[in-house]
Amino acid sequence: MAVRKFKIFRFNPENDSKPSYKTYEVECLPGWTILDALNEIKWFQDGTLTYRRSCRHGICGSCAMQVNGLNGLACELQLAPYKKDPIVVDPLPGFEVHKDLVVNMEPFYEALKRVKPWLINEDAPPQRERYQSPEEFLELDNSIACILCAACTSSCPSFWADSNYLGPAALLKAFRYEFDSRDKGFEERREVLDNKHGLWRCHKIINCFHACPKGLNPTGAISKLQQKVVTEKW
Amino acid sequence: MKRKQYGIGSGGAFAWYFQRITGLILIITLLLHYLYLHFLNGGNVTFQEVTQRLSTPLWKTIDLVFLVSVVYHAMQGILMVVNDYVHRPAVRSTLVATVWVLGMVLTITGVVTIVTFTAA
Repeated sequence: MAVRKFKIFRFNPENDSKPSYKTYEVECLPGWTILDALNEIKWFQDGTLTYRRSCRHGICGSCAMQVNGLNGLACELQLAPYKKDPIVVDPLPGFEVHKDLVVNMEPFYEALKRVKPWLINEDAPPQRERYQSPEEFLELDNSIACILCAACTSSCPSFWADSNYLGPAALLKAFRYEFDSRDKGFEERREVLDNKHGLWRCHKIINCFHACPKGLNPTGAISKLQQKVVTEKW
Repeated sequence: MKRKQYGIGSGGAFAWYFQRITGLILIITLLLHYLYLHFLNGGNVTFQEVTQRLSTPLWKTIDLVFLVSVVYHAMQGILMVVNDYVHRPAVRSTLVATVWVLGMVLTITGVVTIVTFTAA
């Protein structure tokens, strides 16, 4: 048992005129994650603390937040590597705060919808499934593993500057379909990709790559999409 | 959700691609410029030498490519910063227009100087 200090972003728009930080002391067990500590606070110290969480094993993407300035999943971030107290917990930057660590994710989903994240193929469906070879599947380069937690988009300075920017998550999703051998939706997605709020807003800051809790590479995906758009055009 | 942002334009593939190309050209022309003036030329940067060099068609061509690349590349860089950080539409439109006008003026004066230059 070790007592750790957590400095947590608090904001309740109904009562507070501006956000503040509140520090909590928590007795933590070895092997605990940030989420365990947040649960301990909410369940036994201060029930008003608000955050999203669901599966607690890194696949639902609900508990993305900023810990000591870096985005990640609270349920995946072990306490041990954080040597210094207090550990500072903030909501995802770049989004409007609803309450405490809960942000408005609507702009994130809206951007996702704009890239039409589904298989577009008007050909007559074959007798059985649309076949894809293992090599063609490898082209997608794990991009299918995105859990839509928004850690990447929220870490992107281009997104902070331009709320209409698609952001790394939506562009990674676009990559996932554009480089799918079965997809033929390039013409439908072209306008939203080849756009100042689309591909060309990315300045290769690579925060998204560092933020992704699944180890995906949205920056690399954006580069490949940029190449594709340019090659198709000229 | 989709707000119109004035002064930002649409598309952007050409600007992005041409900025990459001019970036590559700049590596070559800048290196060439630097190497020639400081090493290959033996550091002989005199009025006579410069005017003579600027009169040859080859150097005129190199300098024209250099000029267009520098102006376009820098212009796109500034426009990128403006589009990222200036959020007020009126200010942004003004800045974008200023950058374009400045780019044109610099290019035209540069081209006129290079093309019409002859050693006295």
